[in-house]
Amino acid sequence: MDGFVDVSVGLTGFDSFDLHATGVAALYLETALDQVGTEAFERFLDELDAAGGDPGRLEGETSRDIARAITHLWYLGVWPQLARSVHTALGREKANVPFTVSPEAYTEGLVWRTFHGHPAGAKAPGFGTWSDPPPGAPPVPRVTAAGRPVGKPEEDREEEFQGDIS
Amino acid sequence: MSASPRADGQPAGGGRGTPPHHRRRYDVIVVGAGLSGTLVAKRLGDQGWRVLVLEAGTGTLDTWPGHLDAMNTYYAAAAKVPNSPYRPNAAAPSPDVLDLAGLPDGGFRASGYFVQNGALPYGSDYLRANGGTVMHWLGLTPRMHPEDFAVRRTFGYGRDWPLGYADLESHYRAAERQLGVAGDAQEQSEAIGLPFPEGYVYPMHRIPRSYLDDVVAAKIDGVPVQESADSPGTTLRVVTTPHARNSVPDARYDGGRGYRPAGAAGLPNYGERCVGNASCVPICPVQAKYNPLKTQATWDSRVTLVTRAVVSRVLADGNGRAIGVEYQAYDDPAAPVHTTHTAEADIVVLAAHAIENAKLLLVSGLAGHSGQVGRNLMDHPVLLTWGLMKHPVGPFRGPASTSGVESFRTGPARKRRAPFRIEIANWGWGWPAASPGSDVARLLGITGDSGQPRGRGVFGEELRRRLGGGIGRQFSLQFELEQEAEGRNRVTIDPRHRDRLGNPRPVITYDLSDRVKRGMAAAKAVSDRVFGLLEAEDRTVYGPGPFSPGHFRFEGQDFAFNGAGHGAGTHLMGDSRDSSVVDHWQRCWDHPNLYAVGCGSMPSVGTSNPSLTMAALALRSSERIHRDLTELHRPVTVRTGGGDRTAASRVPGPAPSPHSHPQQEVRP
Ligand SMILES: Cc1cc2nc3c(=O)[nH]c(=O)nc-3n(C[C@H](O)[C@H](O)[C@H](O)COP(=O)(O)OP(=O)(O)OC[C@H]3O[C@@H](n4cnc5c(N)ncnc54)[C@H](O)[C@@H]3O)c2cc1C
Ligand code: SF4
Repeated sequence: MDGFVDVSVGLTGFDSFDLHATGVAALYLETALDQVGTEAFERFLDELDAAGGDPGRLEGETSRDIARAITHLWYLGVWPQLARSVHTALGREKANVPFTVSPEAYTEGLVWRTFHGHPAGAKAPGFGTWSDPPPGAPPVPRVTAAGRPVGKPEEDREEEFQGDIS
Repeated sequence: MSASPRADGQPAGGGRGTPPHHRRRYDVIVVGAGLSGTLVAKRLGDQGWRVLVLEAGTGTLDTWPGHLDAMNTYYAAAAKVPNSPYRPNAAAPSPDVLDLAGLPDGGFRASGYFVQNGALPYGSDYLRANGGTVMHWLGLTPRMHPEDFAVRRTFGYGRDWPLGYADLESHYRAAERQLGVAGDAQEQSEAIGLPFPEGYVYPMHRIPRSYLDDVVAAKIDGVPVQESADSPGTTLRVVTTPHARNSVPDARYDGGRGYRPAGAAGLPNYGERCVGNASCVPICPVQAKYNPLKTQATWDSRVTLVTRAVVSRVLADGNGRAIGVEYQAYDDPAAPVHTTHTAEADIVVLAAHAIENAKLLLVSGLAGHSGQVGRNLMDHPVLLTWGLMKHPVGPFRGPASTSGVESFRTGPARKRRAPFRIEIANWGWGWPAASPGSDVARLLGITGDSGQPRGRGVFGEELRRRLGGGIGRQFSLQFELEQEAEGRNRVTIDPRHRDRLGNPRPVITYDLSDRVKRGMAAAKAVSDRVFGLLEAEDRTVYGPGPFSPGHFRFEGQDFAFNGAGHGAGTHLMGDSRDSSVVDHWQRCWDHPNLYAVGCGSMPSVGTSNPSLTMAALALRSSERIHRDLTELHRPVTVRTGGGDRTAASRVPGPAPSPHSHPQQEVRP
């Protein structure tokens, strides 16, 4: 497992703490083994080792496609379709179709984190949070065309609470 | 197989599935428990009428476990399209946007529930399950503009309504209460020119604008743009959109009585605020977005809902009066076996969605005098444009759209081209390019066609950095165009095409007029100007291909459009029985006790998302139905149970009458 996570650090660019914290690492290892078989998976690990752990330097198309698939899995929770040639070369007896590994796999997808987002439909950040600049974005004045300044949601809320108390 | 369909779901409001429907008469039968049917049943039940609601789909979504199952189905779905959370139902099939595929050299192929034979695809779906299509709507609830009701008189195209904004205004307010609308009436009035009564506020304060809205507003507010060299300038302005979505209640509402948001169906006190899940279409995890199940939870006990009951025909007598409906009950949506039943009532209300209503009228051979049933099918054809902003804008946060540009909805340009609303889209390239999944695949070198050679792909830090920098700057604009009523765009039936229960599938013939296409060309020109003002990198491309079933060429330019889900016009209303299907009460001209409610009644759709107007119409029709029933039920004297008081029965109300309960043999 730790070995798989170490390899995944190189594939995804996320550190092992982040990857473990998703809670789906074991499921992904299992999925990868199930999809490509132990033999091809071991070969992939060996070739990656020989490439100094850098997936960008993998030359064999099968190992490269396994690297793509595992990365895709981490980013989206979806095992992708393999290249047709790789599917044939592996002699797979499964349908070569993409599938979401589990509902949690979708919500743990790493892609949302690349832009400081959250998975659509889960981990809701709270009322009005979409009004704030995301990290790295400049603030923008919030004024309507009529020149009427519009309160931030927090202020609206406060007004409302005051109304409730009185 | 069972003689009576069993009730599924927890009784929240109303009665569920009992007693056996075919042994009893009702005051009203409502066909379909979507938005319009749910509202009609609510109003009439509250007024004491016994209402039978027959719903073709299952009722699993009105329990919390059923809702969670839909959430998980959505999470696991490969393509997160509007119908992805909802289980397929062979007894009451729904169309799906995935049923359409573009062909490599243009044109399209349709599979699935609809049979399509038009020049262009009708690209919208709906949902046949308890709650209806609104389960996966976005929840935007702008009113129509007064000039939208008289497009023929004013601009010389399409069809006019037999009523106007002023006739509907109080019903708009009633609908805004029923749906729980968050908005800024003052802004709607200033920016769009919508008339409201003095001092009117929506039930809830407007949904906060997205950061993207503010970025766009800062660059475009007050700037005039020309849509072509010879046209006058139109001043741009970002305006927040009214939503049927829980925000902060406005203490000023209802003369200072305020408003209490409606929580989730099956888990009250939950979902009383929108918390930014950013999945309103196809499913709101907390149900902060309005859906009809919330209203059903407040139905009077006189409303009986029977799910898994597919109405196959409206029954009428020789004098043209509807006497009831025939329907098919089934247990298993995966392998349906059905039994056929009839139910009778004084009034029948079709509320099965524009396309299904037309289908039912056609199958039953009713309302045919004008020859308009099924014709004038309309939608809001949507043109998408998309690009990258210079800095992060926070895509995939909050509701799909919180503001729009309303400047092109009205005015004399309508004489030439279709008007449009511009929605600023908060969910990046989710709709135009299936982001962020497609971005990951592309950077990894994964091609759509597994037979094609794959790119080397980027991994690790570089992948993470490039995705973050790219996706974070995505934004898109959605141009929703008005489509006018045209007789050639239509729903028909053909005995050769049937579903599993033997009911005809809708056969759809659809195209866009040149006026709509000119509207799209103008929309694209405006988009180009807006992208320029935003200093955004335009990534819009239209071409034929599998993901562009709506591709066409117009005046030497490529376009691709999508459906908005706003099917309308198939049983339109008018002021003459010779040229329209229903009158201004949505009552069939040919059958005084048969109503067809929904967007199908709309003779023109303007540029507003249509459901608020549809809801206002349904509430208005409920008043007329109530009067019809009251007229049918003469007051009678009844002995009240448990005492010797004799009271005149309340009219309106569940007055036993020879007309409505022959089996009880009440003789006044
Ligand atoms: C993706 C999407 C987003 C949308 N967003 C918006 C929006 O933001 N704002 C807006 O205003 N509108 C929106 N709409 C449009 C809106 O959903 C429709 O206008 C609305 O649902 C129509 O309501 P209805 O009650 O007429 O039909 P429906 O909601 O479709 O309900 C019809 C009901 O009848 C049942 N039924 C069908 N056939 C039968 C039969 N034979 N027997 C018994 N029952 C039957 C169905 O199962 C269903 O429950 C959207 C639509 C889509 C697809
Ligand atoms: S943004 Fe989220 S919480 Fe708000 S309505 Fe949409 S899905 Fe529901």
